[in-house]
Amino acid sequence: MESLLQHLDRFSELLAVSSTTYVSTWDPATVRRALQWARYLRHIHRRFGRHGPIRTALERRLHNQWRQEGGFGRGPVPGLANFQALGHCDVLLSLRLLENRALGDAARYHLVQQLFPGPGVRDADEETLQESLARLARRRSAVHMLRFNGYRENPNLQEDSLMKTQAELLLERLQEVGKAEAERPARFLSSLWERLPQNNFLKVIAVALLQPPLSRRPQEELEPGIHKSPGEGSQVLVHWLLGNSEVFAAFCRALPAGLLTLVTSRHPALSPVYLGLLTDWGQRLHYDLQKGIWVETESQDVPWEELHNRFQSLCQAPPPLKDKVLTALETCKAQDGDFEVPGLSIWTDLLLALRSGAFRKRQVLGLSAGLSSV
Amino acid sequence: MAQDSVDLSCDYQFWMQKLSVWDQASTLETQQDTCLHVAQFQEFLRKMYEALKEMDSNTVIERFPTIGQLLAKACWNPFILAYDESQKILIWCLCCLINKEPQNSGQSKLNSWIQGVLSHILSALRFDKEVALFTQGLGYAPIDYYPGLLKNMVLSLASELRENHLNGFNTQRRKKISLPMSAVVCLWLRHLPSLEKAMLHLFEKLISSERNCLRRIECFIKDSSLPQAACHPAIFRVVDEMFRCALLETDGALEIIATIQVFTQCFVEALEKASKQLRFALKTYFPYTSPSLAMVLLQDPQDIPRGHWLQTLKHISELLREAVEDQTHGSCGGPFESWFLFIHFGGWAEMVAEQLLMSAAEPPTALLWLLAFYYGPRDGRQQRAQTMMAYVMATCRHGDLQPCGQRRSPVPTEVARDETLPAHSPAKRRPFFPKVI
Repeated sequence: MESLLQHLDRFSELLAVSSTTYVSTWDPATVRRALQWARYLRHIHRRFGRHGPIRTALERRLHNQWRQEGGFGRGPVPGLANFQALGHCDVLLSLRLLENRALGDAARYHLVQQLFPGPGVRDADEETLQESLARLARRRSAVHMLRFNGYRENPNLQEDSLMKTQAELLLERLQEVGKAEAERPARFLSSLWERLPQNNFLKVIAVALLQPPLSRRPQEELEPGIHKSPGEGSQVLVHWLLGNSEVFAAFCRALPAGLLTLVTSRHPALSPVYLGLLTDWGQRLHYDLQKGIWVETESQDVPWEELHNRFQSLCQAPPPLKDKVLTALETCKAQDGDFEVPGLSIWTDLLLALRSGAFRKRQVLGLSAGLSSV
Repeated sequence: MAQDSVDLSCDYQFWMQKLSVWDQASTLETQQDTCLHVAQFQEFLRKMYEALKEMDSNTVIERFPTIGQLLAKACWNPFILAYDESQKILIWCLCCLINKEPQNSGQSKLNSWIQGVLSHILSALRFDKEVALFTQGLGYAPIDYYPGLLKNMVLSLASELRENHLNGFNTQRRKKISLPMSAVVCLWLRHLPSLEKAMLHLFEKLISSERNCLRRIECFIKDSSLPQAACHPAIFRVVDEMFRCALLETDGALEIIATIQVFTQCFVEALEKASKQLRFALKTYFPYTSPSLAMVLLQDPQDIPRGHWLQTLKHISELLREAVEDQTHGSCGGPFESWFLFIHFGGWAEMVAEQLLMSAAEPPTALLWLLAFYYGPRDGRQQRAQTMMAYVMATCRHGDLQPCGQRRSPVPTEVARDETLPAHSPAKRRPFFPKVI
């Protein structure tokens, strides 16, 4: 076991080196040995993929390494990141060497021969590497084709393919990290928050929170060892959001109203905090008598329209969320003095706006004018 | 050999020109043209590789001075790279150009350039910076997420196509990629959920319309393109299976039977129009019945001269009775399968009823059996015999009743007369005892 772990460490170093100018010292024999090593590790991956303890040990080693290298959002991983990466470590090595301009002519020639021996299988492993690379190229082109011809970002973020993919990746990574130690995921997420573009990250979190629960699919082509249940991942995300008020505030601010309503409906634990934020935002607005509208006190405050949008969206959610929201609004209105006249309490005005909006909607739909709740 | 090389030179010129026109295949026309030619181009590449691998790098350049350009143009066309093994063969060709020991700067530059192209073929796509940073930040390489991304993109595209296809109008949302029928069939053949969703959508439409006349059912069915697609046996079987389930779930609802009958009509029409290539053996569509029975039932009742009706119906009755009462054919699924097959073709049951009512003579047992079977497939022998007796009494008593139904209406009796089907009619749930009695 220990020797296996050492092999892993050494290969990780090798992988890191393969992108540096150090490879200028490599001759064809070195290239061959490196590829053989990768092949051996791929074999390890195949062999121990389903073997719980060994796999866990390997995974932990790789995670530690990754963290030490300052991973978690710091850019491409120099070494191996996780067990899954081990499964195509030969491809990873090949790609790095192929792209490395520092590799000498003789070494490069030999590399290309090894990677692309041509038709006619010589030995099983060589063919697999050639096929893997061909498949990678094919998939890359397919993605290119689909992405740049006829793809438009889906206005419903949770249905956008790029967003969904990122969300799936996040959930997968969370699950792995979570298996190692209990409090790891939270720290992981926090470090991601600090390092990654935040806007995109928030959107991905929202989409991840809306992923449907996966049923066991027999044709899952990724490793069957990882039981992908977004349920667990979602819980971790919700917990983290609730524990980081700054993040959650940004979350609620940056994302569109409809998306937030969906997320809050799905994860009721978030609704009190969301409502709390909305009330805070509302309280920051004051009434401008001259203009006859509610305006922000400071430039970064949430304007009336946005506040109204969010409440409107929430009121279209199914109960119990809708009821909670209305109750909250009524309570605020009461606390403010229970005015019916506009211009005195923002809560009164919001309720009035929401009701009239609902009334107009019912008229348009040809429904009766009776107002049940709103 | 000499001839081959002449051919290759000709082809070379042809493809060089084509590739120049296609460029990066960014317009609809170039994309379509590329797709039409990818297979042939791959064959050309194979031939090129066979020729190139015998030469060393310098000879290659002498023989085909512009080979670099040709290969590069191909590599910048994603439709070519995505097709089958083209990317592999292109890589092999490029490898033939690499100089093992470059003697001068020209050769070094060539090596360097080839490396660039190889990297390009395998490199990560430039997505939005944010996405790239995200995936890298999580420790994922493209090889990790391409499969998932492709799956999501294809599913999203498939559902969009399905929506556009079923809605039948252009949504202004985005550049619509419309597929020809063959492509839709391909999609349904490869992705079962797409086909199932198309069927479910059809069911939804049928359920949600308040009053379904047969004409409207026919419209819905034709719009769905399912009858046409069902010319392919695999699709027919799935569709039939869903009808079977629907029938069982609703305990033989008349609405489902009507739908099945209209569908079968449209299907038979489509089958006749389909090119000879698509003709499959009957057994592939109806594996649980004897080919002779299927063949007889598939006939258009209209094509049969009135004088031969009795004969044909007796024949059908015999075949069905044989299938139903013969216990040795274990695999045939018993009476239900035979009945299920029979109800596909509504014209026959109607013909039976008409014959029974119109002819003054003693009703033939075969016809009585057929009618009794149609309305009571689960009846035991005795029960059926009683039913048949009841029919005899009925036809004797009401011999002067008007025959039911218009010519092609597949749904028997009262329902056929006014050509409307109420959406919910619990009284008509089971196909037992026609209103005539």
